[in-house]
Amino acid sequence: MTVTHNTLKPWPRLASQLVHTLERPWLSAIVRKSAVEDTLNALHPLLSLDTVKARVVHITHESPTVRSFILEPNAHWQGARSGQFVRVQAEINGRRTERAYSLSSRGGAQRLALTIKRKEGGLMSNFMHQQLRVGSVLTVSQAEGEFVLPANEPLPGKILLLSAGSGVSPVMALMRELHEQEYAGDVCFLHVCRDASEQIWVDEMLLIGAQMPGLTVVTHLTATQGRLDAQALLATVPDLAERATWLCGPAAWMDQVHALWAEKGYASTLTSERFGGGPTVPADAGTPVSVVCERSATQFMTEGAQPLLVQAERAGLAPKHGCRIGICRSCQCTKKSGTVENLLTGEISSAPNEEIRLCISTARSDVTLAL
Amino acid sequence: MSFATPPKLSRAQVAEFQKEVDAIRNEAMSRVGQADVDHMRRMIHICRGSEVAGRALLHFGVGPLSWAAGVMALANAKILDNMEIGHNVMHGQYDWTGDPALNSQSFEWDIACDGEAWRHSHNVVHHTYTNILGKDRDLGYSLLRLTDEQRWKPRHWLQPFANLGLALGFQYGIGSHDLELGRYKHGAISREVFKPRLDAFLGKIKRQWLKDYLLFPALAMWSAPRVLAGNFAANLTRNLWTYTVIFCGHFTEGVAIYREEDTRNETRGDWYIRQITGSSNLEGGRLFHIMTGHLSHQIEHHLFPDMPSHRYVEVAPKIQALCQRYGLHYNTGSLFSQFATVMKRIFVHTLPPRALSPV
Repeated sequence: MTVTHNTLKPWPRLASQLVHTLERPWLSAIVRKSAVEDTLNALHPLLSLDTVKARVVHITHESPTVRSFILEPNAHWQGARSGQFVRVQAEINGRRTERAYSLSSRGGAQRLALTIKRKEGGLMSNFMHQQLRVGSVLTVSQAEGEFVLPANEPLPGKILLLSAGSGVSPVMALMRELHEQEYAGDVCFLHVCRDASEQIWVDEMLLIGAQMPGLTVVTHLTATQGRLDAQALLATVPDLAERATWLCGPAAWMDQVHALWAEKGYASTLTSERFGGGPTVPADAGTPVSVVCERSATQFMTEGAQPLLVQAERAGLAPKHGCRIGICRSCQCTKKSGTVENLLTGEISSAPNEEIRLCISTARSDVTLAL
Repeated sequence: MSFATPPKLSRAQVAEFQKEVDAIRNEAMSRVGQADVDHMRRMIHICRGSEVAGRALLHFGVGPLSWAAGVMALANAKILDNMEIGHNVMHGQYDWTGDPALNSQSFEWDIACDGEAWRHSHNVVHHTYTNILGKDRDLGYSLLRLTDEQRWKPRHWLQPFANLGLALGFQYGIGSHDLELGRYKHGAISREVFKPRLDAFLGKIKRQWLKDYLLFPALAMWSAPRVLAGNFAANLTRNLWTYTVIFCGHFTEGVAIYREEDTRNETRGDWYIRQITGSSNLEGGRLFHIMTGHLSHQIEHHLFPDMPSHRYVEVAPKIQALCQRYGLHYNTGSLFSQFATVMKRIFVHTLPPRALSPV
């Protein structure tokens, strides 16, 4: 989403002009942008030249492992559409760490809600559950994502909202949107979770249900009813073929639903939200993988286990480089996504938006570079 | 002084040495975290505070005492910015934080040397080819003759003056270092390569002069001469201090100089040994180490250029003990004694080599 100057509120517009001026070399030699940013931050933690910062105003314990964080963003926030996600950034043990989380709040809401399940060993989810208090300030991106209701056309007459586990967050945002719009069509909200203790938003759903005659709420508990596979889904929602469906849940389960759609040739739309954050098994060293270089708009396949610098040069690119043995960092570039191995330390890393040295990194999965 | 005799270590010993150095590195790097970034941000805050205080004293102060205090505060800010902050950040010691303000590839510092030129001449050339004659352009900065292996030329008679000039204008010395003026004059570098380097150098000088010698004096109005002189004195103080510290890093007595052909098939272990034998340390307290940007731990810095610098203090005893076990010379001493040997080398090599006396 590109935002033109004119759509910005007065303060962000002024700030973006100020940033532009501060980035001029003669001025940045006198005062660095980071010094201005730090000063603003010291005056008030929500003040920033160009970053969306949001203060935690309320924390709701939804279940023993799930909490909702209600955030109030600063003036840089440009709003969201229901179902979109933000990238949350926090400094954990000195490292800026970033994870994408769906907003469970409705797009038009003044306050943002992030509903987050604490994952065993999860860096960010544990940080949020243990460290965040009312008053804490987080950095968030602008809203992103295509998991939204159609904007410029009428809503379909029959809708299925299908979620499993923590996939309920963006689906709930859609539910709240339909409720807000007083949608009069037929909605089935089908949520899969292990047992009743994991069920959240029960009261709110009852309230919405009372006001929306077309809404059917179905909860599928896997502990007693087993997994919701294709057969079970068809049995629960017999008119599946007619329902425009929004789907979010574990990747393997979503693959099954997509396979069902392909197999049956359903004409209704199936929109799903996927986060690639899950642990992936790195490919063996030397397995050919795809490397996408964003700035040069190039894509190539690797050959052999040589470092990315050599691979990129073989593909006709000429990345900046120096020592070629990992000392000087001239070839450092941002890895947007994918898994790489550091050939000096043997460390394998999948973190998004990470600085890597091309001369000592090999790709162990498909990789996207800022190069 | 002659070329380094390869250390009397077998290949197996060098491999073992490499493993032990790696282990020291891994142990220290595994503990890198909040404390390191907190240290760097504290340095940045002190640096900013010192600069604001220095400029305020120069602008609004009355009398020579406040002027001297202003000069010291501003020089302190520039020294911290160049040594403990800029040099270390530009080595990538804080790239792991993901903080754009601490990113090695975009950092720019308060000195007449363009950051990008520095990243090339220092990080690429000097740190890769440390003390290899003909490859490490920091060896004498293409100006001084520091070893018998460098050919004597008549211009070396003026070496003590050249050295003094370099000390006084050190920021311009390192700023113009990556221009490779000598090679350009001999046609080894094309105009297409040289011109952008010259533009970057002059552009940076322009920005520095605009700030220190035009804008801030102009803002001070009738105090303009006071501010101009203060800014000049602060830059000069920084030049002399950085010159002193940096010259003690590789030009002391006893550091080894290498021949290119001896380093062609280096392993990482060999490279470690070259970094150790080609560098020298300075002894002092915590404040001293910070003011040198931890270049007082030149040996550790050359082994681990991307380790947050304040950790050199804790790995140094381990490296020193390791060197002792392997019989490697660990060159360390006080600033005074180390600098005296540097001066000695400069003066000794001013003279042409003595012809072999007839038998």
